[in-house]
Amino acid sequence: MSKGKLNRIFHTHMMELILLVICIVIAFLAPGFFTVPNILGILRSAAFKGVIAFGMTMVIICGEIDLSISSTVAVSGIIAALVAGKLDGAGIMPLSVGIVPGMLVAILVSGLLGFFTGFIRTKFNIPTFIITLAMMNVVYGAAALLSKGFPLTNLPSWYNVFGAGNVLGIPVPAIILLVVFAVIHIIMSYTTFGRSVYAAGGNPEAARLSGVNVTRVKILVMVAVQVMAALGGIMCSSQVMSAAHNFGKGWEMDVIASVIIGGASLNGGIGKVKGTFIGIIFLGVLLNGMTLMNVNEYAQYIVRGGLILGAVLINTIQVTNRTNK
Amino acid sequence: MEAECGGIFKNTGSIGFRQGMVYRMSILKTENITKLYPGTKALDQINVEFESGKVHAFIGKNGSGKSTLVKIFAGAIQPTEGSFYLDGEKIMLHSPQDAMERGISTVYQELSLVPGLTVAENILMGRLPMKGKLIDWKAAYQTAGKLLGEYHVELTGKEMVADLSLWQCQMVEIVKAMSTNPKVIMLDEPTSSLARNEIELLFEMIRELKKRDVIIIYISHKLQELWQIADTCTVLRDGKFIGKTVMQETSRQDLVKMMFGEVEVKTRPEDLETGDKVMLRVEGLTRKGCFSDVSFEVHEKEILGIAGMLGAGRTELLRSIFGADAYDSGKIWFEGEEIRNPNPVRMKGKGFALTPEDRKNEGLIQMMSVYNNLCVASIQALAKHKFIQRKKERDFVSRQIEELQIKVPDEELPVSSLSGGNQQKVVVGNWLNTNPKIMFFDEPSRGIDVNAKQQIFQVIWDQSRKGISSIMVSSELEELLEVCHRILIMHEGKIIKEVFPEDVSVDELYALCMG
Repeated sequence: MSKGKLNRIFHTHMMELILLVICIVIAFLAPGFFTVPNILGILRSAAFKGVIAFGMTMVIICGEIDLSISSTVAVSGIIAALVAGKLDGAGIMPLSVGIVPGMLVAILVSGLLGFFTGFIRTKFNIPTFIITLAMMNVVYGAAALLSKGFPLTNLPSWYNVFGAGNVLGIPVPAIILLVVFAVIHIIMSYTTFGRSVYAAGGNPEAARLSGVNVTRVKILVMVAVQVMAALGGIMCSSQVMSAAHNFGKGWEMDVIASVIIGGASLNGGIGKVKGTFIGIIFLGVLLNGMTLMNVNEYAQYIVRGGLILGAVLINTIQVTNRTNK
Repeated sequence: MEAECGGIFKNTGSIGFRQGMVYRMSILKTENITKLYPGTKALDQINVEFESGKVHAFIGKNGSGKSTLVKIFAGAIQPTEGSFYLDGEKIMLHSPQDAMERGISTVYQELSLVPGLTVAENILMGRLPMKGKLIDWKAAYQTAGKLLGEYHVELTGKEMVADLSLWQCQMVEIVKAMSTNPKVIMLDEPTSSLARNEIELLFEMIRELKKRDVIIIYISHKLQELWQIADTCTVLRDGKFIGKTVMQETSRQDLVKMMFGEVEVKTRPEDLETGDKVMLRVEGLTRKGCFSDVSFEVHEKEILGIAGMLGAGRTELLRSIFGADAYDSGKIWFEGEEIRNPNPVRMKGKGFALTPEDRKNEGLIQMMSVYNNLCVASIQALAKHKFIQRKKERDFVSRQIEELQIKVPDEELPVSSLSGGNQQKVVVGNWLNTNPKIMFFDEPSRGIDVNAKQQIFQVIWDQSRKGISSIMVSSELEELLEVCHRILIMHEGKIIKEVFPEDVSVDELYALCMG
């Protein structure tokens, strides 16, 4: 009995255990690892992609994917800076106030992009993989055109708080990450909408016949991930106090990897927001540890890739075991 | 080169007869074949014989053991006891591949052609003629064309299967099966989704097959067409061999009697009654290609059965009323109010419920737990300001597990781990939690054991006592007679008759369903 229980804990918390082992190993090899500033630093740098990963968790549980978030990251910072600049230039409001409507417009536009993807997905039954692959290019191009190819740096100094600020010694991005985590965790575990996401991802036809509005659910998750991407983009441009079209390049891979490491299935219906949190920390710790240990940058890619493959293998085996039981 | 091409005709023994030179009769014979499944005897000491050059109809109602025997011939399963012989040679099969190599081909109801490839590629799959390391397309199209020509199929090898209609696919499939020169070809419900004129074309092709020394086993539930195509008819019932008759000397009544035997039809409990209030009214409902001009009423507390053969349009009718599929014209009223553009969300809100025919793919979310599957449809009812009330959810789940006696060791287990009967109860429980006013049961007893079946019927009756109406579709006619107050008979998309269970016997009902 106790052996079975132990076995079960081992199986359900495999990723946490592996994370723990990795932390211990890194702690021994890199003395600077287990210090408060370093751990806060990990949280800060993981936060940018992390907030998007929570949105992506909903999307992946719903059986969809969004590859276009990287371009949204770029365009949202640019839109915020442009709107603020225009309002300032027209003398309507100063830059420091204008950045607020700027950020809202950025979030709104991203939400509309998500709505568009979700609409095409449900109306014409085209896989989101394809739609968002196309959108990634479209939005990237639009971002470059909007910024005319140069970084926009005309931002008010307080804007820096989202990416680089601290509250009571805790980095603001880390706080945003935790808030987003809490909100999405509650949505997915305690609301009817969350349950509908699982149902729509697990078996869309059965969900539809059970009177779940699958179209609405799918569109909403696509909107959610885009809004998260806009948030990530604002944090990102705030950190470096500039907005450029090449921001966020390649982020989709890390974001999707965090979700998959966290145990979500690309087939939909399976996944946990808590799991994604572990996935985000996992990637963050690994990257931080390797940097501390001066691992060659390109070697880091190999480790990262290997990790994603390993995580998917473990998950697939677990899912197969579960369904064959 | 020649050897590679010749692969198609590797069964050299039959080439001679292919040209009509040699006539040699082959015989497929079973000896005391028994197949046991836990709890049931699917086949009980079956002794049958099929000889070549004839079309042998092979019939039996659901659960008769018909498909079990077909699967044994096809190598998909092995008999528990007994064996079968082809031309006196004992055949032991370990896989469908084995069966094909021994000369037993099967054309299944679900066609197995690859739509993205040409007819020639499909027919010659796995044995395309080669020129060195490359495919010899010229030879491939030639061979395929020759094969198609032999059976008078007016297609070329170059056509894409995706562009063909269903009956053409059916023919290509038969040509493919015949191209290996089998001794036995089994056709599993070949006409089930074909229109009448297409069936005639298919029959012409099957008659062509008769000229070859091949044993044709024709599995069908469409009795009326057997007289057109079959020479003999073999009937199984409840796992037993009932008889083999010569078609021309057999009447339809004889066959129905053989299929059903003396059925004891149980009657529904005495206390069930129907109210006067009309709950659902459907008028002139039409969906092109599925059903047309369907009108009926369902009263309060009434259990209405819809009988008909597979493909009569029963499932499609239920799905259209429920809003799962669109219909072309007609009107639907519920409780006196007209419902326009139904969709499942709206219909659920009005008090409709539907337990789909395809439980596995449409009724349940397989990887989700039993617990969550019981609360998919009722999710809105469980929520207060969009948040799920855990306690209420818990109550909903326990209530259904208790009332429906769902046997589940742990409700957190995925629903896929349950037996068919318990899965069906989860589907029903999922809907009962919505407190429906009218429930549609589409083949509620499919693939579940006798006990679970009775429990499901009990649920339907209990709902009626609570004032809820039901529509039940079933291919098991005796079940409709047992459960329903009134039965509509659907044939080729139309409602052709209304009967009361008190007034008809199973075989009469069966005859009515066949039109």
